[in-house]
Amino acid sequence: MRGIDLAVTPGEIFGFLGPNGAGKTTTVRMLCTLLPPTGGSATVAGIDVREDGAEVRRRIGVALQEIGLDPVQTGRELLELQCGLYGITGQAARERAGELLALFGLTDAAERRTKTYSGGMKRRLDLASALVHSPPVLFLDEPTTGLDPASRLTVWDEVRRIREAGTTIFLTTQYLEEADNLCDRVAIIDAGAIVAEGTPEHLKGEMGHDVVTLSLDGAEPAAVEEALGGLAGLERVVAGPGQLALYVEDGAGSIAEIVRRLDRGSIRMGAVTVARPSLDDVFLRATGRRLEGASDEREET
Amino acid sequence: MREVLLLGRRAVREIARYPEATIPALFIPLFFLAVNIGQVSETFPDTTPFLNGQGYVAFQLPVSLMFAVATATSGLALVTEIDGGYFDKLLTAPIRRSSIILGRLASDLVRGLLGSTVVLLAGLALGAHIEAGFLGAVVLVVLAALFGVGYAGFGILVALRTRNVQATNTSFLLFFPLLFLTPNFVPFDRLSPLMETLARANPVSHVIEGLRSLVIQGWDLDKLAACMGVIVGLGVVLTALSLRAIARYDSD
Repeated sequence: MRGIDLAVTPGEIFGFLGPNGAGKTTTVRMLCTLLPPTGGSATVAGIDVREDGAEVRRRIGVALQEIGLDPVQTGRELLELQCGLYGITGQAARERAGELLALFGLTDAAERRTKTYSGGMKRRLDLASALVHSPPVLFLDEPTTGLDPASRLTVWDEVRRIREAGTTIFLTTQYLEEADNLCDRVAIIDAGAIVAEGTPEHLKGEMGHDVVTLSLDGAEPAAVEEALGGLAGLERVVAGPGQLALYVEDGAGSIAEIVRRLDRGSIRMGAVTVARPSLDDVFLRATGRRLEGASDEREET
Repeated sequence: MREVLLLGRRAVREIARYPEATIPALFIPLFFLAVNIGQVSETFPDTTPFLNGQGYVAFQLPVSLMFAVATATSGLALVTEIDGGYFDKLLTAPIRRSSIILGRLASDLVRGLLGSTVVLLAGLALGAHIEAGFLGAVVLVVLAALFGVGYAGFGILVALRTRNVQATNTSFLLFFPLLFLTPNFVPFDRLSPLMETLARANPVSHVIEGLRSLVIQGWDLDKLAACMGVIVGLGVVLTALSLRAIARYDSD
């Protein structure tokens, strides 16, 4: 990790967005007291992570990327044990486990061993087990990685519901869509450093008004940039693999002029698309790369 | 303490749910018991002085008891948990880390009591009797189970240090040389001089001698004390090393 400076406001869903290997999991593990920080300081729910790890652990719920379930126990046993580890025992533990099973739609599977659960059920049980003690802060490390789209939506709904109950949520994701839909604020992390931070709207707004993407079809990016020099309303050009993103004031209105200029320069282009900037564009601008698996929301023109 | 009980109860539940992990481990000691007796009972008939009037089964029984309890099951369960991520979940809970180890060891005690009782009953069925009587039989089972707890610390230590399933699995094999550099087939004075020197230096020999004294001689407090000393020493050292390994788990 390089210098990371972050503040998460109580009650918000804070998204930590970045590609695999960017340092998301390392950051979460440090905040959850699973890894000692090599330097710097962090407070979670008002407690210093380095000074009082035990108190931090009492106040956080954690669902790590690798779903941590004991395959031998049933869903109910797992939750009751988890209650016990947080000091909730006896009748209170039985009630809390039953409540969470119902809340996460797992009552029917409660007496089955967790190894028989589907991926989505395991993720939901893991999430439920992070909530037994109603923690003020919840860490979710890539909560939807590996889930099918339907299960992903279910998890999103549950995350929103947990936030409504007053929990602050710190989640990591490699999905732009997830950060965009779910998070109040987002930090983009790349190679261990934060490269952009703000609300999704703010980050997208900073990018300019519209984004026109040209797929280059073998054309030289430099030649294209030259041909487009001085285009009215052009705010920024960002080169990506095999394509150029033009940030312009009026995307639709500029297309005719863009095509005319390229034609004049005898530059052959592939598809031309226009869209509002997405977090993907924010990511591209900040890192010079597109995030793998980014969904393409552009409309072809 | 509550945490240890909770985690221990869970580990005991594992024994009941995975009989396939316990039953094959009992097959080996029973197999050796039967085979060893079959091979040498004519060589050492019950008139042999060191058998004190009993069949060779009485002499072999303690060795089989030790085989029954010396398993890497806890280490394997732990390393599987590290691999699967549940271990991290436990580490983020507000519990003492030592309770994760002590919970495992508690289940080893239960497993050891079950395993050694089964082997003892098999030995009795094959004609052995416990010279120290019923109380002696109880002490025999408890000592064997405690030896199993001490030995389990070794698998747990390997699991924590290597975090590797294969390494933890094969750690069990390290026990074999220690078990065979002992008076396991014949008493000390029947061993070759070199073997006798090695066997006397091997702490495991004193465990066998102590257990065997209950079966063949009755109450020999010196031998029992030596046996207990080795078991407690083994347990204390390995548990301390495991506790240190789990306390430093993050910084490795």
